Amino acid sequence: MRIGVFICHCGSNIGGTVDCAEVAKRAAAMPDVVYATDPMYTCAEPGQAAIEEAIHTHALDGVVVASCSPRMHEPTFRRTVERAGLNPFMFEMANIREHVSWIGKDVELNTHKATELVGMAVEKLRRNVPLHSQEFPVIKRVLVIGGGVAGIQAALDCADGGLDVVLVEREATIGGKMAKLDKTFPTVDCSACILGPKMVDCAQHPKITLYAQSEVEDIGGYVGNFQVKIKKRATYVDWHKCTGCGTCMEKCPKKDVPDRFNEGVAPTKAITIAFPQAIPKKAVINPDYCRQLTQGKCGVCAKVCPTKAIQYDMVDEIVTEEVGAIVAATGYDLVDWHVYQEYGGGRYPDVITSLAYERLMNASGPTGGHIVRPSDGREPKTIVFVQCVGSRDPSIGRPGCSGFCCMYTAKQAILTKEHIPDSKSYVFYMDIRAAGKMYDEFTRRAMEEYGTDYIRGRVSMIYPDGQGQLTVLGMDTLLGQQIEIKADLVVLAVGIEASHGAKELAEKLRISYDSAGFFLESHVKLKPVETNTAGVFVAGVCQGTKDIPASVAQGSACAAKVLGLLAKDTLSSNPQIASVNTLRCVVCGKCVQTCPFGAIKQVEERGRPQIRVIETMCQGCGLCTSTCPQGAIQLAHATDNQILAEVNALCQM
Amino acid sequence: MNFTYYPGCSAHGSSLDYELSTQAVCQALDITLTELADWNCCGSTPAHATSHELSAALCARNLDLAAQAGADLLVTPCPSCLSNLLATKERLQDVQFKHKVDALLDAPCASNLPRVTSVVQAIAEVISLEELKAKIKKPLSGLKLAAYYGCLMSRPAERMHFEDPENPMLLERMLTACGAEMVDFPLKTACCGAAFGIPKRPLTQVNSAKILTLAANLQVDALVVACPLCQMNLDLRQGQAERYSKRKFNLPILYYSQVLGLALGLPKEQLGLHKLVVSCQPMLNKWAQAQSIAEGA
Amino acid sequence: MSDVTTKELRIVGFLCNWCSYGGADTAGVARAKQPTDLRIIRVPCSGRVDPLFIVRALFLGADGVLVSGCHPRDCHYSTGNFYARRRLEVLKQFLPILGIDSRRFEYTWVSASEGQRWQHVVTTFTEQIHSLGAAPKFMDVEPKEFKLGARVSTPILPLGAGQDQPLKELKTAIKEALPKLEVVIGWQQGRDPLHAVPLFMRKAEDVDKLIWGPCNVHNVATYLREYQGHKVGLVLKACDARSVIELLQENLASREDLTLFSLPCQGTFDYGRVEQCIGRYTQLSDVQFTQSAATVMVDGTSKTLPYAEYMQSKCLRCTSRLPKLVDISFGTDPTEDAKDARESAESLPPELALVESLSLEERMAFWRASMERCIRCGACRNSCPMCICRDHCISDTRDPHFMTQADTFLEKLFFQVIHALHLAGRCTECGECQRSCPLGIPILALRQKLNRIISELFAGYQAGSDPSQVPPLLCYAVEEPKIKEREW
Repeated sequence: MRIGVFICHCGSNIGGTVDCAEVAKRAAAMPDVVYATDPMYTCAEPGQAAIEEAIHTHALDGVVVASCSPRMHEPTFRRTVERAGLNPFMFEMANIREHVSWIGKDVELNTHKATELVGMAVEKLRRNVPLHSQEFPVIKRVLVIGGGVAGIQAALDCADGGLDVVLVEREATIGGKMAKLDKTFPTVDCSACILGPKMVDCAQHPKITLYAQSEVEDIGGYVGNFQVKIKKRATYVDWHKCTGCGTCMEKCPKKDVPDRFNEGVAPTKAITIAFPQAIPKKAVINPDYCRQLTQGKCGVCAKVCPTKAIQYDMVDEIVTEEVGAIVAATGYDLVDWHVYQEYGGGRYPDVITSLAYERLMNASGPTGGHIVRPSDGREPKTIVFVQCVGSRDPSIGRPGCSGFCCMYTAKQAILTKEHIPDSKSYVFYMDIRAAGKMYDEFTRRAMEEYGTDYIRGRVSMIYPDGQGQLTVLGMDTLLGQQIEIKADLVVLAVGIEASHGAKELAEKLRISYDSAGFFLESHVKLKPVETNTAGVFVAGVCQGTKDIPASVAQGSACAAKVLGLLAKDTLSSNPQIASVNTLRCVVCGKCVQTCPFGAIKQVEERGRPQIRVIETMCQGCGLCTSTCPQGAIQLAHATDNQILAEVNALCQM
Repeated sequence: MNFTYYPGCSAHGSSLDYELSTQAVCQALDITLTELADWNCCGSTPAHATSHELSAALCARNLDLAAQAGADLLVTPCPSCLSNLLATKERLQDVQFKHKVDALLDAPCASNLPRVTSVVQAIAEVISLEELKAKIKKPLSGLKLAAYYGCLMSRPAERMHFEDPENPMLLERMLTACGAEMVDFPLKTACCGAAFGIPKRPLTQVNSAKILTLAANLQVDALVVACPLCQMNLDLRQGQAERYSKRKFNLPILYYSQVLGLALGLPKEQLGLHKLVVSCQPMLNKWAQAQSIAEGA
Repeated sequence: MSDVTTKELRIVGFLCNWCSYGGADTAGVARAKQPTDLRIIRVPCSGRVDPLFIVRALFLGADGVLVSGCHPRDCHYSTGNFYARRRLEVLKQFLPILGIDSRRFEYTWVSASEGQRWQHVVTTFTEQIHSLGAAPKFMDVEPKEFKLGARVSTPILPLGAGQDQPLKELKTAIKEALPKLEVVIGWQQGRDPLHAVPLFMRKAEDVDKLIWGPCNVHNVATYLREYQGHKVGLVLKACDARSVIELLQENLASREDLTLFSLPCQGTFDYGRVEQCIGRYTQLSDVQFTQSAATVMVDGTSKTLPYAEYMQSKCLRCTSRLPKLVDISFGTDPTEDAKDARESAESLPPELALVESLSLEERMAFWRASMERCIRCGACRNSCPMCICRDHCISDTRDPHFMTQADTFLEKLFFQVIHALHLAGRCTECGECQRSCPLGIPILALRQKLNRIISELFAGYQAGSDPSQVPPLLCYAVEEPKIKEREW
């Protein structure tokens, strides 16, 4: 092999504390090194040109650059050597800036260390082999999981960009949490009025296939070529026939079914259409409560249905879709606030969540938009809002801020005053987090225009006073005194966590999640909607707390990523992947068992079992290589021999 | 069934009725309470307000005595004693702290100290609700009661291990088994302010009045307590709370052991009912009336 | 190659590309001053770090090794560091048995943003290594032999000499089953009545040669890999059965292919001890097995071999004489008597007790003396039922090139470390490796240590007890209750 070594001065960044010329001199004596020099700026255009020239002049077939971190300029120099006709993987970097010159001042020690790092890189390079990417075709379709506002936005943008979209929604209607809201901050415009048209667009878009009342059962494949199994849960109503007229719901005799869409504010029927603007506007039977399905007698809905759409014998159905990319937009659920026994743990009907309060205020909600107490139907005059219930509380393992509660509480306080002009609202808060465009102005309005009393402090206890009201005990930490308020209704701003089932979905998608179940993005700042599984993107609150505009922005961001990814006809694979030496492999299957990506499969080849790496799925972590007892599966560019060469070089110097 | 028993100082003074009724109830439930020989005061609040080592030394001596006596369980009726004993056990895990405590003792404290719990939890551990029901002679039907645990019984949660620290239900379960109607009493773990009875009386009045007002609003016949200090505060100082809230409560404050004793058919004298400041006679009359109606029917 | 003489020590770091290497870069960008001793090897993931790299580095003279990856749950590859955490913790606890101070190896988690933390980690670890000083070299210690201590004196279960009547029933059963099976593996008499060799029964008349008793030392499960995918029968002792279960756990055997026979085992001979008693002989006859001892005529002299003295150490500690999971067994199981004898079973076996009683330096001397005797015959490997690589052992190849062919005790010890680490969480402690060693090197101590580490870390896990369990180093838990990670 003929290796060229370039020891970069990086101006005085390296040259100041490393004797670069000396390092180059010592490098010249290393095995296979035929050329060594110490340019001033290797990454600059003349520096790169000098590398290209040296490759030609000295017939180099491998290059070592000792300069900054490979996380910075490895791609740059790989392109440089490629321009000069070398394979980009016949290149190694030694980090003598971040790891040497910037962390110590002793020139002698630094020069010694830099020499050793160069020696290590040379030994590694001597064992490098050219690696080549492979091209594979992509399926130009995308799966969006979750039909909340983020998912809707992603689906619409992808469909408008020309992709076929499969939108899967677990509930009977799309719309997500936003569909439950009355108004939105900080403009106080009607949630249904701005979301409704988007929902309708989804239903009518020729490129969007909507599966409501469905869940993702299994995901196989890899970027560009996913196979997705979708479970369509039985609705017991033939949606091709159902016109959404609502007669069945009107006539259903079962009247005490908990209503999830209305957050339990009022009971509903056993056959329902979630709300008047539901998309798809189709009826669904709740099999846990339907008398026909639980007791085998009733059949009222079947009798009254004008289109004979009721099908009591319907069963779950599995459909398979093939897509090239996946957007997860599964949103959130409320933290189980019943752990707070000091707030009654759910025993007091007039202590409700803010999401339930939205349904009370919503004109299409069960009370027709009249705010009343769930216990006695009376209009409340004193309302206490409690912030951070299940947020910022390490004692229940939810140390994080839920992000939007400060804002919607201000909105709810304003709306309360508009609904009930002679009412008085109190807000117990820890801090007001209103860091958005027009947000702080909005909370100020709640205080100043609408006379909401903001009390900085926590509520220690809420209890019925035995005379029809709730006593709210709290602390005003600004005044340093205890506060006691007689309230008619208490609204808890309950914190959020990833929606139930998010962790299971993450396992299927092979992406990571945090302790609250939120999906982990690939890079906190620079890759906010990508994940570490190629071809899988995340939008909306499933990635972390955020409000509607941010969710919509992420939906669009995902669409842009997906459109970019699927704009090409083929994708090229990362060549730094594992491969099996079938002559050494004994097919023990330990790599199959441990691969985090399911990228290793046992297959039959000419009647014999063999282990095969699916090149497009392998992400190059090398767990298999350290697992294989025979060393039969090797990760390219980080093989056992390459790492051993580095170890040997270091320990034998 | 035999428990090694640490009565605590109040048992021999201000809460003699608690002591009497606890002894009587345990006897009726076939539980022998063997009093720890030569026990001393746990130091309560004054000791740990002065020095943690002193407080721990006082408790360590009692724990050590129990260990010497071969007890693997030590029970006490008083939440304050219990809290101190448990805190001491916890702190003695720290070797350096134990050295300091040992220096205050005649001999180093044993390391295999017994488990410590309250009498009421110990009873619940060995007598199931069904067994308790079987022993009831006079069901408490007709009585509407509220259980008040006080602030100390269940907190700090990780030390006291007394059910949900904000909403314990042990007394409710026991007394419901006895036939009483137990109301949901949300202030069951609120502080009554007893410790401030002397230094800051207005605060005590506010706290006690809050608890007594809620109980009165819920129209209970009596408040059932498990702490000598709460009982004294809510009973003896009820007048102060009445003057503060300008409202007559006339609410009897009974120990759970007294109420259990009634259900077990024990005579009033054994239960020390005569020691109560606010008479429980109206409650007893109501109960007798309800019983005669039931018998008549 | 260095002409610089400094007080630097040799510290090797393995850093994952995504988090810790970035963290080290962040520290550099912040000009966070650090000791210069550490040399960083960039790997894709902490899960890529084979524990053997670390042992290799330490054997080659590194004074310290540091592995750093993404924080648990933040792994770029989702679960790589969960596996790393298990493997590296096991390695850390394993190093002292070789005579290496466990403080010379640490693993930790540093994210790409934690430059300050990286500075702290490097500084703390470097200081730790400097306080330990340069690592003692195996090459510098004087080899020193140490004698094994006493064994458990009384067996937990009664020892005995086979079961004639049940053996007849067993033979009948095997003959019945044989037509459906390719082969049934058991034991037959070897060169004389005191020695057995494996028996491969293919025809009914082969079955008549089957014997059962204290000479049946071989673990017949070792042959199972040769017959993967074939219908075979195995006659098993309880300890052999654990190897079968472990193979089932690893999907290396399929339960439906196997027909498992067994009798209650009453212990097998420790031939090392037997040979010391009977010495070299030309004629051996009249072997009699009574309930407490075997008697034998050796060159005209009668010798008595009381079982309690001449059984294998593992038999004295055995608490389960009839294997789980067998299809066909006869005779009575004496296991019930063993219930209150756990404690002596949990005491340290003599090999491990010996090594653990030594100082770190003595351990190096011990291993040097022991491994200098090794003739690299490979019997330890070939007799191991869990050595599934067979002809593809990494010690025999240059791809990958873990071992050189140099005939040094250190290479031989490294081979034992490879074997032990490849068995981590899989070894059933059948003892075949040590039994088959012609030099009697107590290599079992390494496996015994690993098994105890794994049992302690993973809720009492024992390889080969439940076919449905996944070996602990082939899986992970998000929270590891028993792994106490270094605070820095």
